[in-house]
Amino acid sequence: MFVRNTFSRWIQPGSGPLSLKKMILRVALILFFSSLIGLGTNISLIKMFFQGEFQHGFFSSEEYSAIVFITLGEAEELFAAGEALFIDSRTVKDFKEGHVFGAVNIPFEEKREGDELGLESYPLEGVYVIYCDGSECQSSVELAKLLDKRGFQDIRVFFGGWEEWVRAGLPVSRNDDSR
Amino acid sequence: MIRDKYILLAFRFVVGGVFIWAGVLKILDPLDFAQNIANYRVFPQAVSFFLALVLPWIELACGFFLILGIFRDAASLLLSVFIVVFLGLIVATLIRGLDIDCGCFGTISRKVDIKLLLADMVLLFFSLNIFFSKTKKGVAS
Repeated sequence: MFVRNTFSRWIQPGSGPLSLKKMILRVALILFFSSLIGLGTNISLIKMFFQGEFQHGFFSSEEYSAIVFITLGEAEELFAAGEALFIDSRTVKDFKEGHVFGAVNIPFEEKREGDELGLESYPLEGVYVIYCDGSECQSSVELAKLLDKRGFQDIRVFFGGWEEWVRAGLPVSRNDDSR
Repeated sequence: MIRDKYILLAFRFVVGGVFIWAGVLKILDPLDFAQNIANYRVFPQAVSFFLALVLPWIELACGFFLILGIFRDAASLLLSVFIVVFLGLIVATLIRGLDIDCGCFGTISRKVDIKLLLADMVLLFFSLNIFFSKTKKGVAS
């Protein structure tokens, strides 16, 4: 009864201090002008979006200049040439169940703030390929951003990730066999 | 429902202040907020992007309107709807076991957890009270 009375007072046109029509108009006005300002003040970002930026992660390539997104083919080439260290950013459990042959595990997905990642042991000049589960996970991108901030110079994010690697039948391992 | 006008005024300042603060922090770094939305793994990349550009401005406008008493009812309705959506996302995230930042306050966001769920429920209570409160002519909207 209370709910019905309250709603009828507010929602029925002309029955309460604020009619339904007025309410809709006000909501629409707030949404319209806020959206207009939001889109208007970010024209440059919108341009970048339609030029193909932010497809795999939301960061400016100018701000994180060392990060490049690579496909399965490029990841396979780097693997075959032995030029890059593959970094698996998934959980320890996932890593133990299977990972790219030779990869090391930096379980960024389960790290808490303040945890040491052990990045000091890797040279800043090396080539690093970071991956997580697949295109939907974000830990590879987040880890890549952190590496960029720490001064690493060549970071490749393999956005197809573990799922694509396995699907392609490429070398995997369950042991600690980092190269 | 609470009817005391001073308590309702306090509710308006709390909810309005929280959303102004949240809106400003997100406006300062829209890409970070877009990434926060994408981390929930609910929306496609394009939707996350455009939500991140627009949502903080709506929060900011509603926050100001609540405090100033302009369009108070529409602002509290919109914010209540937002909080309900946030609550749904928090519950879904907890059930799925994702360990992510909530994205509520830009770069200083906290993790999605039970405390956040409770805080949002309190905000929803405040916001609904403002929406259902009886307006006095010339005071509120």
